[in-house]
Amino acid sequence: MLRFAAFEWRLLRADATLRLFGIVLTLLAGYALFNGTRWVGFQRETIATVQEEEQARLAEHQATIDRLAAGDSTGIKPWTNPAIPSVAGGTQATRYAVLPPAPLAAFAVGQSDLYPYYARVSTRTKQTFIVNDEIENPVNLMAGRFDVAFVVIYVLPLLILALSYNIVSAEREQGTLDLVLSQPVDARRVIGAKLLARIGVVLGVTLALLLVGTLAGGASLATPGALSRLALWAAIVSLYALFWFGVALAVNAAGKSSATNAVILLGAWLAVVVIIPSLYNVAVTTARPSPSRVELTTALRAATNEATEQGSVLLQKYYLDHPEMMAGGAPDMDNFAARSVAVQEAVESSMAPALADFDQRLVAQQALADRFRFVSPALVLQAALFDLSGTSVHRYRYFQGEVDRFHAAWRAWFFPRIFAKSTLSAADFRALPAFEFVEEPASVVVVRVMPAVVGLLLPTLLLAALASGGLRRLRR
Amino acid sequence: MIARIAAKEFTDTLRDGRFRWSAVIVGTLLCAALGAGARHYTDVKAQHDRAASTMRDFWVNQPAKNPHSAAHYGLWAFKPRTLLSLVDQGVDPYVGVAAYLEAHKQNEFQFRPAMDATATQRFGQWTAATIMQLLLPLLIVVLAFPAFAGEREQGTLRQLLSLGVQPGALAAGKALGVASALGVLLVPAAFLGAAALVLASSEGALGGEWPRIALMGLTYTAYFTVFVAVALAVSARTRSSRAALLVLLAFWAANSLVAPRALSDVARRVYPTPSAFTFVTALDADLKKGLDGHSPDARTAQLLKATLAKYKVSSVDSLPINFDAISMQQAEEDGNKVFDRHYGALYDTYRKQNTVHQLGAVIAPLMAVRSLSMGLAGTDVEHHQAFANAAERYRRRLVKTMNESMAANSRSGDFSYKADPSLWREVPPFEYEAPPIAQAMAMQAPSLWLLGGWLLVALVSVARTRSLRLD
Repeated sequence: MLRFAAFEWRLLRADATLRLFGIVLTLLAGYALFNGTRWVGFQRETIATVQEEEQARLAEHQATIDRLAAGDSTGIKPWTNPAIPSVAGGTQATRYAVLPPAPLAAFAVGQSDLYPYYARVSTRTKQTFIVNDEIENPVNLMAGRFDVAFVVIYVLPLLILALSYNIVSAEREQGTLDLVLSQPVDARRVIGAKLLARIGVVLGVTLALLLVGTLAGGASLATPGALSRLALWAAIVSLYALFWFGVALAVNAAGKSSATNAVILLGAWLAVVVIIPSLYNVAVTTARPSPSRVELTTALRAATNEATEQGSVLLQKYYLDHPEMMAGGAPDMDNFAARSVAVQEAVESSMAPALADFDQRLVAQQALADRFRFVSPALVLQAALFDLSGTSVHRYRYFQGEVDRFHAAWRAWFFPRIFAKSTLSAADFRALPAFEFVEEPASVVVVRVMPAVVGLLLPTLLLAALASGGLRRLRR
Repeated sequence: MIARIAAKEFTDTLRDGRFRWSAVIVGTLLCAALGAGARHYTDVKAQHDRAASTMRDFWVNQPAKNPHSAAHYGLWAFKPRTLLSLVDQGVDPYVGVAAYLEAHKQNEFQFRPAMDATATQRFGQWTAATIMQLLLPLLIVVLAFPAFAGEREQGTLRQLLSLGVQPGALAAGKALGVASALGVLLVPAAFLGAAALVLASSEGALGGEWPRIALMGLTYTAYFTVFVAVALAVSARTRSSRAALLVLLAFWAANSLVAPRALSDVARRVYPTPSAFTFVTALDADLKKGLDGHSPDARTAQLLKATLAKYKVSSVDSLPINFDAISMQQAEEDGNKVFDRHYGALYDTYRKQNTVHQLGAVIAPLMAVRSLSMGLAGTDVEHHQAFANAAERYRRRLVKTMNESMAANSRSGDFSYKADPSLWREVPPFEYEAPPIAQAMAMQAPSLWLLGGWLLVALVSVARTRSLRLD
């Protein structure tokens, strides 16, 4: 069989289609990678700017504190005084929680243009800092990015189909099929060899481009988990390519003309890549509609109204619940900042069920979308590529969890000081909690992506079996 | 002669299994899209209507409080859905649906619906517009690619021409034949769409929408005509039907898959948008320092002098009004200029980017059609900006009413003054009306010209087919 494949390779090499395939794929992938790298660069730059701003701001406030300690309070108003804990923790000394782009982020922009990748965490409620959209023309968001994932999902199948839509039918139309069948070899071996040569070419070019892209894109393979992510990226893209070869072979095995094959394959591409995913989206959003942000906003406002009305009562209640906050054993009812904290907590606890319900509905929608994604290999591939590139909703949810933890730590540091009405020193400023992002373990990502391997492999094997049956009939 | 060719072509197409199947599929998909669109529209509209009236209740039912506290309390504005969004959602999933209107600050719109959807959404929004923009051209390609190339392969083309059939008549007849076959699908679909719109609209809402609906119909008719003509032109010039199909598919893919993405990149590169962080930092700096070196402190000093002179008194305490409120209103107006400049520049960048997208129609007619369709549906960036501007005008009016009441009814330094709750009703409810169609079309000139150009070239090229390739 390998001998046939070698012959086929010689034939292919002489054919202009192959060269065209290589050139088109390289150009598109190169441009896509350039685009993705730029977007990652933009995020890195923004993160650097944000962190510089934080450093400069903290240094400035430390200087103010030193000045205050020396007895100079000119130009400092109560609401700009960084030595007051509620002011420092609420605005002046706030710090950023930052999500750095993952090693392979340049391959798939994914959902990274929709979710915030940094948050300025304060003592205030999460809603005040978590909505933090990057500026982007909505038309651009709608169109989507020209990234490597796009080239793989949409264009690679088209190129594969162009290479192999007539893998059997051309032999028949040239009259060479009868010649082959009259020889004492299994037709399946000859066709298999032809297929193998094409698979070799496509996978060779694709994997080489991936590797070059990784190195050129500046991804550091030394990052823990980067190699396993890259290996899975390559494996899943290869499986997707094999799936399309399987489709082409199965259609060819039915014994129709090249023109008919082309139309059928085009229909298959359209169904798998365009129609089924979009319809699936309609089905998911109809079965599990997104919860309404508008209703949540109204509910939040209602809860805030109620809590603000009973501010002093809430403070009393807060002291009852948190006796540790009473300095010297007596509640301080004139502490305005403390009262805000109490109101905030009341709002948060009364909103907690609604927020949990909102979140649970999002999770349910995502779970549904994940569960039946196997209806189209394009859906399976997209989810896997986004996840491996660290631009999926999963990584953003993980980041939200990390932000929540930091938010809690930040409050735990500030609330006792707000209640004690303490004055912050320069040393306190140096000891402020800082956010450190710990990457989601690669093993978690791998486990999440593994079903995709099955989801792509299974239909491919089915198609291969189907094609094999068809080709055997060809013999008779 | 043309009519006879068209009739033959029409009957052929209707008998063709390819047409029947594709028509059934496209028709079903269209029904599904319209149904889902209508349902989504009515759901979201009900939510937004409820929320808007709740917000109004919150506002008017505020207890007696200082007007400035009320201005800080503010309210949320929710973007209404347009009726035609059930045909074309446009950018709606990618712009925020709510803005918080409060004292001192113009806030960006929050909560892009796409944020709360799954990544599946990125495969594209399934609306009637998507089907008309992407699938119907493909159907046209499948129907029309063998028009000439097929006859050529069968040898019937030579025969036809030897009978003295004029190439122009043949082309026109074929075009009409394909068009009428499409009509079999599209005319019922148009009625279906109209029915969906009537059913989804609250009473009488459709009356004002007719011009938009009619223009949208014209836009898509022009788009389909262009595709029919392109398909025929290619079929007339390629040797085999296989080559015709390949060329047309490449055109379709470039038009509908590559162009939107590639043009977004180009537009972004030519007219870059700032990062949100840079934008806010620059805005804050201008708010703090004042525009063009007019420092806020100097402005306040100047204002104080003028106010003292106006009331002919020598100190703030003897003023019959609250100078703090007057000074706050002054700051408000200074701030508004800063917001106008920064948000104006941002929307200007969007507009320039969108013009680049529209100019892309030179290569890909979809770019013109997409822009026109969104514009007519009221779901493009221009309409979003119109709503954002209306909300901002409302905010300014609200804050001004509060500051004026505070100025007239209290004295400087007195923040304990509480206004009677009747003041809240002096601010009318927020009502928004979408811009008239002429304004909606103002930014669409490139699209109109380019689509018109494509149509003209297409029609002329069909009508003036002088010679046909015979082999």
